[in-house]
Amino acid sequence: MLEGAKSIGAGAATIALAGAAVGIGNVFSSLIHSVARNPSLAKQSFGYAILGFALTEAIALFALMMAFLISFVF
Amino acid sequence: MEIPMIEQLFRRLNIYLSHPDQEPEWVRYVYNDLRDQDLMARLQYFLKDEEMEDCEFNLPRLREIFFNLTREQRKSPFYHLVFPDQMDYLQEIARMSAEMRIKDGNGGSPLEQFSIHPLILMKIGNFYFSFTNPSLSMLLTLGLVLLLLFFVTKKGGGKSVPNAWQSLVELIHDFVPNPVNEQIGGLSGNVKQKFSPCISVTFTFSLFRNPQGMIPFSFTVTSHFLITLALSFSIFIGITIVGFQRHGLHFFSFSLPAGVPLPLAPFLVLLELIPHCFRALSSGIRLFANMMAGHSSVKILSGSAWTMLFMNNLFYFIGDLGPLFIVLALTGLELGVAISQAHVSTISICIYLNDATNLHQNESFHN
Repeated sequence: MLEGAKSIGAGAATIALAGAAVGIGNVFSSLIHSVARNPSLAKQSFGYAILGFALTEAIALFALMMAFLISFVF
Repeated sequence: MEIPMIEQLFRRLNIYLSHPDQEPEWVRYVYNDLRDQDLMARLQYFLKDEEMEDCEFNLPRLREIFFNLTREQRKSPFYHLVFPDQMDYLQEIARMSAEMRIKDGNGGSPLEQFSIHPLILMKIGNFYFSFTNPSLSMLLTLGLVLLLLFFVTKKGGGKSVPNAWQSLVELIHDFVPNPVNEQIGGLSGNVKQKFSPCISVTFTFSLFRNPQGMIPFSFTVTSHFLITLALSFSIFIGITIVGFQRHGLHFFSFSLPAGVPLPLAPFLVLLELIPHCFRALSSGIRLFANMMAGHSSVKILSGSAWTMLFMNNLFYFIGDLGPLFIVLALTGLELGVAISQAHVSTISICIYLNDATNLHQNESFHN
């Protein structure tokens, strides 16, 4: 019973990845938009995009960490 | 459980552990003994394992018991205090359990790779200052970085036309002042020089520690919450001290931007204070979660590839290429993540430092 509930909880924790997926998609779509408008800023905006990607990805990893916590620690 | 019983159990296990060549035999002996001596119930009580009594004589089961014993030992400091004389046996059992899991191939959880075990056991009173595998890998990276810097800067600091190694070191060295200038420059341009060395060291720390974990059989130091949290907390405390040094009590004004209507103030102060304090956690969690998640997923996928390879089925044998290539791609991704995390953590330190030194004077993006 507890094991099953744990698995369900860990699975439910990964729903948060939907948000991270939207975020990452948003970062790169904005990058393409801005580079299409002003190609001369491509290099600078790519740096910012990678930074934004890393920050968004880190948020996604919080969800993963919760899943690990639920399934291994408790 | 009383101490004599534990002692007896350890003695018994140790006797059998010293004959690893007759593997299937001693497993049964240990089991029979456990049952005869009524140790099973006590062990069951100790490990809180409910299915222990009515189970088969098999290696995976015994391995599980060993593993649980090791985990219990690792989990409670109490264990060290109550059974100080059994530490040798415990070490032996831990080693045995690890060996068995390796022999089993795909066994073990993906978090197994992060386990810390002492290489040289050191103990003063009841405190353990063991030289562990993280310490070893930290020393290793430190040595590599120092060697790299030493060979490049010997004979009066390199040549005017750099070779490949010198270019690498110069690249790393020149990389840091850039974000520092961008973020902390502020209105008074002098700040950057002061903090540049500290940030540079933090950057080099992450830059070399993170990819070093991708070497097979090495240990990722930054995949441990304890280490990244120590790093981020010390940086947070340092930044707060810097803020108070530069601004005195005026530092508190960072929590209230100028020109805010007074009724909004309590909410805004709370809204600024919470993220500020959460930064201490978040930069540590970010590094740790990135490293741990990446390494675990590589382990899970390579475990699946390994299992498929030995299924004695042509279909799976060909299908095995799928996970294998994903592992390959993930390894590349992990190296990228390792380096970009070093970059990201450096930039976020710069942003936090900027908030402390310049308060709200210049507008940069906030995290």
